[in-house]
Amino acid sequence: MSLSVQFEDLTKDFGPVRVLHGVSFELAPGKVYGLLGENGAGKSTLMKILAGYEAASAGEVRIDGEARRFDSSRQAETAGIVLIHQEFNLAEHLTIAQNIFLGHEKKKGWLLDDAAMRAEAARNLQLVGLQADPDTPVRQLIVAEKQLVEIAKALSRHARLLIMDEPTATLTPGETQRLFALIARLKAEGVTIVYISHKLDEVERVTDEVVVMRDGRFVARAATAEVDRRQMANLMVGRDVSDMFPDKQPPAPDAPSALKVSGLTVPGWAEDLSFEVREGEILGFAGLVGAGRTEAFEAVIGLRPRTAGRIELAGQPVDLRNPRQAMRHGITYLSEDRKGKGLHVDLGLRDNLTLMVLERYAQPWLRLDRERDALAHAVAEFGIRTGDHASKARMLSGGNQQKLALAKFLHPDPRVIVLDEPTRGVDVGAKRDIYFLIRRLAAEGRAVIVISSELIELIGLCHRVAVMRAGHLQATLGLERLTEEELIAHATGTH
Amino acid sequence: MKSLIRVVGAGVLALSACTIFAAEKVTLGVAIPTATHGFTGGIVWWANQAKKDLEKAHPGLKIIVKTAGSAPEQANQLQDLLTVNKINALVIFPFESASLTKPVAQVKGKGVYVTVVDRGLTDTSAQDAYVAGDNTAFGKLPAEYLAKRLNGKGNIVMLRGMPTTLDNERYNAFMGVMKQHPDIKVLDAKYGNWNRDDAFKVTQDYLTRFKQIDAVWAADDDMAVGVLKAIDQAKRTDIKEVFGGAGAKGMVKTILDGKDKRIQADVSYSPKFIYDAIKLTAEARLKGEKLPATTIIPSVLITKENAKQFYFPDSPF
Amino acid sequence: MQPERTESPNVSRRWRTALSGLGPILGLIALCIAGTLLNPDFATVDNLMNVLTRTAFIGIIAVGMTFVIMSGGIDLSVGSMAALIAGSMILFMNSLGAGGHPATLVVALGMGLSLVLGAAFGCAHGLLITKGRVEPFIVTLGTLGIFRAFLTWFADGGALTLDGELSDRYSPVYYASLLGVPIPVWIFAAVAVAGGVLLNRTAFGRHVQAIGSNEQVARYAAIRVDLVKVLTYMLLGLCVGIATLLYVPRLGSASPTTGLLWELEAIAAVVVGGTALKGGEGRLVGTVVGAILLSVISNILNLTSIISVYLNAAVQGGVIIVVAFLQRGRR
Repeated sequence: MSLSVQFEDLTKDFGPVRVLHGVSFELAPGKVYGLLGENGAGKSTLMKILAGYEAASAGEVRIDGEARRFDSSRQAETAGIVLIHQEFNLAEHLTIAQNIFLGHEKKKGWLLDDAAMRAEAARNLQLVGLQADPDTPVRQLIVAEKQLVEIAKALSRHARLLIMDEPTATLTPGETQRLFALIARLKAEGVTIVYISHKLDEVERVTDEVVVMRDGRFVARAATAEVDRRQMANLMVGRDVSDMFPDKQPPAPDAPSALKVSGLTVPGWAEDLSFEVREGEILGFAGLVGAGRTEAFEAVIGLRPRTAGRIELAGQPVDLRNPRQAMRHGITYLSEDRKGKGLHVDLGLRDNLTLMVLERYAQPWLRLDRERDALAHAVAEFGIRTGDHASKARMLSGGNQQKLALAKFLHPDPRVIVLDEPTRGVDVGAKRDIYFLIRRLAAEGRAVIVISSELIELIGLCHRVAVMRAGHLQATLGLERLTEEELIAHATGTH
Repeated sequence: MKSLIRVVGAGVLALSACTIFAAEKVTLGVAIPTATHGFTGGIVWWANQAKKDLEKAHPGLKIIVKTAGSAPEQANQLQDLLTVNKINALVIFPFESASLTKPVAQVKGKGVYVTVVDRGLTDTSAQDAYVAGDNTAFGKLPAEYLAKRLNGKGNIVMLRGMPTTLDNERYNAFMGVMKQHPDIKVLDAKYGNWNRDDAFKVTQDYLTRFKQIDAVWAADDDMAVGVLKAIDQAKRTDIKEVFGGAGAKGMVKTILDGKDKRIQADVSYSPKFIYDAIKLTAEARLKGEKLPATTIIPSVLITKENAKQFYFPDSPF
Repeated sequence: MQPERTESPNVSRRWRTALSGLGPILGLIALCIAGTLLNPDFATVDNLMNVLTRTAFIGIIAVGMTFVIMSGGIDLSVGSMAALIAGSMILFMNSLGAGGHPATLVVALGMGLSLVLGAAFGCAHGLLITKGRVEPFIVTLGTLGIFRAFLTWFADGGALTLDGELSDRYSPVYYASLLGVPIPVWIFAAVAVAGGVLLNRTAFGRHVQAIGSNEQVARYAAIRVDLVKVLTYMLLGLCVGIATLLYVPRLGSASPTTGLLWELEAIAAVVVGGTALKGGEGRLVGTVVGAILLSVISNILNLTSIISVYLNAAVQGGVIIVVAFLQRGRR
């Protein structure tokens, strides 16, 4: 059942760029490994080679002592190696069951055996804890549910080695618990698991050993019990991450109200929501996926219809009917869906940065030189790492894309900025940069709203945290009550 | 809903027609292409003209005109005419010969008297009568006329319509005559798609390519319009004759008034033959008679002398 | 989690991008060389002006079409729209002319009507697509039929012809030249330059591109997506109006064959020129080159008779595919 893997001097080049430099290590069967590294460290590439999505430029992979070279993910799956993608590989218009068996359909003679597939899909869904009909089209699922479908799909392949790339990035604490139980169960059955995550607390809880990579090289491995989070982070970054979070500087006691929302109702998502954030304050929004946080703020800036509610910006009542009006009144919103709603990944860095306030550069013809200056300025200010200012946003790593997105939504110089999952899929170093940036924004007198599923982040960063559950505001916790237990209790309704 | 009203309406009509004119009732279906250019525009106009005139003259006659934009649509209309309108005679200008032969044969098989106009079916047993313009004369007359005007010597360029059997017949007839005049050179023949804009472009390029052209056979009056404009633009004076075809209103008027010395003659191929075909079929059926198997409406050379009798100011063509 | 490729940009891909941008131009140059070899008359100024003049209609429309396609839309109705505008202009001018107004004024008013109608039709498309939420393909497929049907009805299936004096007064708009270059070519050039500036150097152009690249992101980035979309269709309508006011004096008439298949030619010019049909990426220079390329193909075919006329369409199709192949992007 189990399977061991050995990487021997594995090298990978993308054109002239070497992303893996002779990586060698081995994975013993039946263990759970945490694979750590910042974005661009080469973890994903290495795993893609193992799972047959990419071919190595040099070196070899040995499976159970035998050198293997997979030309396709299908061959790897036959050998029992399955990769669960960070970016989903689901066909949106097909049902859950169809997706789970895509390319491996069960047949009865010439015809598809839908009944059998549906039954097995239902079994796998139950294992991963997704309560959904296997006939539901995937496009109707929310992100977290899609992640669970991906996992169910991997289960149906009867993997002997399972690679999970950031599986909990979109999951709620409850779903994450269930996933951990599943991992334990698979491990007991002898499945080897490679767990890639930026969430070090999870790595600490779920893995037996950690392997750390940096800049395309193998750096270290250790039994999880022997290293603490701080050491892990230091190994990944290659320097001492002395402190992830900046110290909290509370807003001035007489700071005026920046945004006041009262009685906001968004049909199907939020009801009678009231809150206020002051200048210089960082207000967090906690809650499970689907609690209505994202939708409530989309409604505030006019992207969704609201049926009731009053919005005041700097004490003035405003009627925001579209994002442009919202921006003109000094509020912008950065979506959690960076590639789908936040950035034009196929456009250049400059186009992305200036898009919201192009009129600033049009007199009436666009001044490309000024746009370029603005980009150079933003690259320096936000620490965006890019070799080429003329490249497309797609070429940036996740963390740098997020910094660019932040620069874009700050470019209109808003007084209130709403950041939805600002550190999702971002490595430790970039995370820290973003936290310090948020702190700086608040220090400049802006009001910052942070929607996040990472409780540590909310606790470490925010002055107050509002907790939503099923469209209702449950509680707003001040500094003195800001603990993981309180947040979870309010978010799940077990208070 | 609409078709339901039509069915009921047709039923009521048929009923009332039955009670009042019990005998000699003829329901004639007319299936023609939609008006997409001058010639088919004329077909539609003349068909409706025939309906107006004949229904007035014969109370027992009902004419239903259907226009189709494609061959499959025309085939569907035949079905409707048969089952909904219950026709007992049909005059059809087939969109295409081959693909409509079977559908027409089916209609005939149900006892409907079928007259085919202009384009012959591939299987002539599917029709009772055939009424057509004279495509051979359409090519032959201009060839003879141009050969005479050029005194058997000179350069001719020509335009063709679209790749169809009809176009081939005309082209072959023209070239047949030209064989007897070895000193007349036909420089090239390209498709102008029976439309003014394409004819304009093709002629522009002819003018670039050939430094001496004596006559242009435009093969269609619409195309002749484009040819003349292109010649005017290039300010070329070597072209002495432009010959169109079909006898369109504007062209006949030009000949009548002597407005353009390049336009001295035309050949008739009037869409009026659909009028003739409907009239012949309707009147024969009302008397219970048959038409001759083939009726050719002759194409005639139009010159200043006889132009008046080909001028119909009310027709769009 | 993308591999870090930012440090030294992929040189070979750079090259390919640069080359792919040149695809249509290389194709055009190759065609011109071939044309000259096949018939020396090809390379004359007169022939060049002929080709450019007849490209003007499609070219001007293709400039507008570039905006629509860049924003992720499509307009199938342009040919029919041109026909209906031409017919309406002629009817309007004839009736004014019959009223005894001075011919120059009548012609000027007619040209004005053409622009107004174009913009109005475009606006109607835009509103149906944005507010009515009907797919652009369907909206314009519908109006494709509607516009042409109305023209055919106005013309009784025949042709609408501009009255003699008006026609004489109007014809210089197509036939006259300025500095040896025909008026339509000047206007084509002006429209192309204006389009290029609008697309590359204004906020509107950037917004069009952003919407085509990812409409959702554009919406979140505070772009008035609906307004911009309506404007692209109006701009295209205006271009159709300009093309039509140049077209009418050529033959002085409009018939049901006017503008037939112009939509396909305009879309082909845009796509051959390197604009992605799915939107987001495109070049206006490419569109202009694409439009010229298409008319050069048929010009060369007319200037030679080495290939059977039955195969003309095959040659055109082949050249289009080869050019598209030369400028294909990644994947």
